[in-house]
Amino acid sequence: MSMLDIWLGILQGFRVTASVTLYGLVFAIPFGLVFGVAQYLTTGLARVIVTAVIEFWRSSAVIILLFVFYYAMPVIGVTLPAMAVGAMVLGLNVGGYASQAVRAGLQALDRGQKEAGQALGLSRQAILLRIELPQALVAMSPTFINLVIQLVKATSLVSLITLTDMTFRAKEIAQIAYEPVPIYLSLLLAYFVACYPIALVGRWLERRVNPAREARHGL
Amino acid sequence: MQDTSQDLAVEITALHKWYGAFHVLQEISLSVQRGARIVICGPSGSGKSTLIRCLNGLETYQRGTVRLDGIRLGDDARQTTLARRRTGMVFQSFNLFPHLTVLANCTLALRRVAGMARHEAESLAYHHLDKVRIPDQARKYPAQLSGGQQQRVAIARALCLNPHLMLFDEPTSALDPEMIKEVLEVMTGLAQDGMTMICVTHEMGFAREVADEVVFMDQGRIVEQAAPSTFFATPSHPRARTFLNTLLH
Repeated sequence: MSMLDIWLGILQGFRVTASVTLYGLVFAIPFGLVFGVAQYLTTGLARVIVTAVIEFWRSSAVIILLFVFYYAMPVIGVTLPAMAVGAMVLGLNVGGYASQAVRAGLQALDRGQKEAGQALGLSRQAILLRIELPQALVAMSPTFINLVIQLVKATSLVSLITLTDMTFRAKEIAQIAYEPVPIYLSLLLAYFVACYPIALVGRWLERRVNPAREARHGL
Repeated sequence: MQDTSQDLAVEITALHKWYGAFHVLQEISLSVQRGARIVICGPSGSGKSTLIRCLNGLETYQRGTVRLDGIRLGDDARQTTLARRRTGMVFQSFNLFPHLTVLANCTLALRRVAGMARHEAESLAYHHLDKVRIPDQARKYPAQLSGGQQQRVAIARALCLNPHLMLFDEPTSALDPEMIKEVLEVMTGLAQDGMTMICVTHEMGFAREVADEVVFMDQGRIVEQAAPSTFFATPSHPRARTFLNTLLH
């Protein structure tokens, strides 16, 4: 089997890898934002509940969660498509990490920012949306890019719940032709090719979303 | 009773505040007439910043009352918000929003709180930036300005909401000496326009020139309250005398 055939074979799984990533983000972004903000704003029992939900998704082993939702849940009558399970488990796991970046970004802001908003008579919601979140999200943008890259790589686990992603394709090819070196090298390269542009876009985005810092450097 | 309190911009009665066991404010009573200029001074840790922050609800208090234009600040969040909208505050560290341009710093509350349209808010912002003499910096970000310019933007931002009362919490303490002057000039101009002002400051020249009354605090209490001429010439309290000596020599 030629190197090109191996490549093309692996790339047939790119669609699934990309889909799991994108659907995963559909879970990760709202979860990270809502739970990060909630952990920042709540106190007492509400905070305990928010923290428990975050910790469940953040501290559980992804591979085991995949098995639980795909293989164990049908036993109690809950059957979900593999794509839904993959996107949800990977997305909420990464979302759990993201929530901590959101919270850390909010907590790191100078207290004076919130106070200046209060002194101007802004509502708590306006302070959060107009003053705190824009600054926190920009400060944390390198971390978010990290997490997206982490998510792309973690999608290789969905090959274990029957999804035909790039990793699944590589293993299929490996069963046809015993050529582990070119196959797995190609797979490695495939993930790199998928992730590196994200890093580049991320860097570009960081410059775009931070006009204040750019302006300062321009002095 | 009702009539006299209507003339007062601020009325503080028997105010007490504790941080845990630490009694930061003790039996503070102070009335500020509309149009009055009050300077609060005192050694660090005397509670002067805490006091001024109680006047717009940035700090809570445990006993006593604070009224602004007759509105009681305290438990009711809506009342507090109402009072805040009549009050402008300028902080020691400026607290401009670094992610917004100078213009957007000024228009944010106009649009979100006063519900103004963009062009209307912007022309009002330009009016106040003009007053603090930096209209040409409107499109820049705070980090591109000097400290003195940033503090003048902070003053303009507070003025945009047309406050009845301006609170200054050590507005020049974070500034280099050559920038202090430009900020004090803006503040003096504001006083000449008849703004009610309460300033926590160590700028005794400003106090002498602008204040109607100097309030001296020590260890959480108001220990002396007098016209500047009296306060500087013949301070009656020994703590005030030592304070003035260390400051003037």
